[in-house]
Amino acid sequence: MSTDPRHIVRSYEQELNQLRALTTRMGGLVESQTAQAIAAIIDRDAEAAQAAMEQDPEVDALEREVEGRAIKLLALRAPMAQDLREIVSTLKITSDLERVGDYAANVAKRSLRLGTMPSELSLGGLRTMGRLVQESLRLAIDALGQNDKEKALEVWRSDKAVDEVYTAMFRELITYMMEDPRNIGACTHLLFIAKNLERIGDHATNIAERVHYAVTGEMLPPARPRGAGAAPE
Amino acid sequence: MSGAMAPAGGVERDQGRNRGRDRGLDRRRRLRDGLATLLCGLATVLVLLALFSILATLVWNGIGGLSVATLTRVTAPGGENGGLLNPIVGSVIQVALATLLGAPIGIAAGIFLAEYGAGSPFATAVRFISDMLLSAPSILVGLFVYLLLVAPVRHFSGYAGIVALAILVIPIVVRTTEDMLRLVPLSMREAAAALGAPRWKVVLLVCVRAAAGGMATGVLLAVARIAGETAPLLFTSLGNLNWSTRLGAPMASLPVTIYQYAGSAFDDWVQLAWTAALLITAGVLLLNMGARFALRRRGER
Amino acid sequence: MEPDANHRSRAMPDSAIPAADGALSAAARAMISIRGLDFHYGDHHALRGISLDFPARQVTGMIGPSGCGKSTLLRILNRMYDLYPGQRATGEVLLDGENIIAPGTDVNRLRSRVGMVFQKPTPFPMSIRDNIAFGIKLHERISRSEMDGRIEDALRRVALWTEVKDRLRAGAGALSGGQQQRLCIARTIATRPEVILLDEPTSALDPISTARIEELLDELKQDFTIAIVTHNLQQAARCADQVAFFFMGELVEVDRADRMFTTPRLKRTQDYITGRFG
Repeated sequence: MSTDPRHIVRSYEQELNQLRALTTRMGGLVESQTAQAIAAIIDRDAEAAQAAMEQDPEVDALEREVEGRAIKLLALRAPMAQDLREIVSTLKITSDLERVGDYAANVAKRSLRLGTMPSELSLGGLRTMGRLVQESLRLAIDALGQNDKEKALEVWRSDKAVDEVYTAMFRELITYMMEDPRNIGACTHLLFIAKNLERIGDHATNIAERVHYAVTGEMLPPARPRGAGAAPE
Repeated sequence: MSGAMAPAGGVERDQGRNRGRDRGLDRRRRLRDGLATLLCGLATVLVLLALFSILATLVWNGIGGLSVATLTRVTAPGGENGGLLNPIVGSVIQVALATLLGAPIGIAAGIFLAEYGAGSPFATAVRFISDMLLSAPSILVGLFVYLLLVAPVRHFSGYAGIVALAILVIPIVVRTTEDMLRLVPLSMREAAAALGAPRWKVVLLVCVRAAAGGMATGVLLAVARIAGETAPLLFTSLGNLNWSTRLGAPMASLPVTIYQYAGSAFDDWVQLAWTAALLITAGVLLLNMGARFALRRRGER
Repeated sequence: MEPDANHRSRAMPDSAIPAADGALSAAARAMISIRGLDFHYGDHHALRGISLDFPARQVTGMIGPSGCGKSTLLRILNRMYDLYPGQRATGEVLLDGENIIAPGTDVNRLRSRVGMVFQKPTPFPMSIRDNIAFGIKLHERISRSEMDGRIEDALRRVALWTEVKDRLRAGAGALSGGQQQRLCIARTIATRPEVILLDEPTSALDPISTARIEELLDELKQDFTIAIVTHNLQQAARCADQVAFFFMGELVEVDRADRMFTTPRLKRTQDYITGRFG
């Protein structure tokens, strides 16, 4: 909402802008962490994996920083309407981002383990999932940075595709495991990686929902569009 | 080291200079403040000096003549041990009745002006005339009443004196009543009206009550003023050297007695004039203090 | 979510702002209904085309910048403007179906039905007891014992009784600001009105006294319909069931308080309540 007039209290405006900047920075960081984690599996890039894991503490620190500032704004400025929605949403978005960071780190860690295992397994499903999830996350973070409700809606709708690929991968990996028990170790890692990527997609959708609420004041319906048969848990 | 210190030293010097300038400014301000305080103090001392010298002279010269005899004996020819009983009683009667006559009229007019007369031409005229009367020479009021009440019946009377004093009371009470009512906050009037009180109840039950202290002060001011008036009485109640409480006859009063005795050749008359002056002053002072005390008690309740 | 979350104004976020039928009108009977109200101070057109309902036994908060007309509207509801010449209201203000701005209205009776509490506490220069008796005596002839009962009742309702019961004959001026304001509220409710108007009742009070008054409002709305003008948005958010936002003599938006302060529908409202340049 860059067209909004500015707050009369300039320090309030500044504090809100700082909060936005921190959240956007955290989003960027998590986005790159996720990209590196995905590259780590697909390209078997150990350096990327290492980098993704090392970013985690910074993401955690940013979450705490944003949380502290948001609480201070709530206490000192008694925000109303759009400001209130934005600050409360920011609190939830940063915890989503933090989870995304955790999943990315976990994916990176598993990619290193996977690298030590001889495996001829196809990574096609994961590549698709990685691309979709990365795209959702990028779009969600763009929506966050630009307060764009259209982009947020787009993310919210696209979650369905990720779920479908995940369900397909789930069946595929089960099949591999049944075919040859020696695959079980690698397949389990892959299964967890797929699950983590799916979770990242969910969090991206959460972020999109929060952005949508912050911008419009309307909660999206709780039942989001899902893949036809949701993955068995 | 000196190189590293140089900028810091510069800053220090700058601050030092600012402090110095502040100190200079500070001293000038203190000086001016002191001077102003001193001048105000001097002015106060001057006024107090005048006041106390008058009071001291009065007490010094008047206290000697103050005795039971002075307060209980009627005036007598010079050298015959006269007292001040008839002027004291005459003054009390005339001042009291004049206040009783003038204050209600003044209060009523004041209420009218403050509460009902906003902007009406009639009220503006009344206010103007009342203010004129406030500053009119009191001897004119005496002459006016002389023509009205003395000349037609061909003799002076207590009535005439009372009416003359009452005419002096009215404008003072009008002014203070109006001013005091105007000081009653609008919010209090609105609060009373908001409870559903009609206009006259708002005025009489709330506004007048809120202004009562100030209005009483106004009446006291008027009493103090007329207690010392000589001029309006010269052509009206005239003064009476014999004992008389008849309102239809000439009536003695302290100010007129002072006027007659002060310039006389008899030493005891001059002494009585001083005592009479002391009595008026003390009387007004006591009345004032008593009223203040009573009002404060009421305020605490 | 509340059961009425699918209220039509939610379902159609882009629809025109239904100023005339406020968000609560479906739920509660309107104690006062304003229809097409215009108000002039001399040449100044202070209120334009106001239509607003005050639901019975609810608190309606009126907010907006200084000079927006919210206090003016409040002072129309008890015909306070009658005290001053050159002020004119047109349109309808219905109290129980009766147009109170019509010429024939008995203003003093109206004011016994619609009480008002002001910004500054305005105790009368008399005893605490007489302050409350004053209003009652204006409208009723009752026995002394009944009067004592009414006074105690009014003071209890504003939680002042225990504080002043031993000094009912003492002057009201000796009370603290917060106590004075509660006394003024007691004085108003003692005449048993149906509606209570409050014009920034806590702006001269400390936070504790303010909290006491807000708590009191919450209790009073069991029995009275309340309209409160406040500059304190938090106060409106805390006390009001329905909030109306006024700007330049117009009613911009009216909605349930929780929606008004989280998701106002109009940008003008949003800019005002978030503290932005208009």
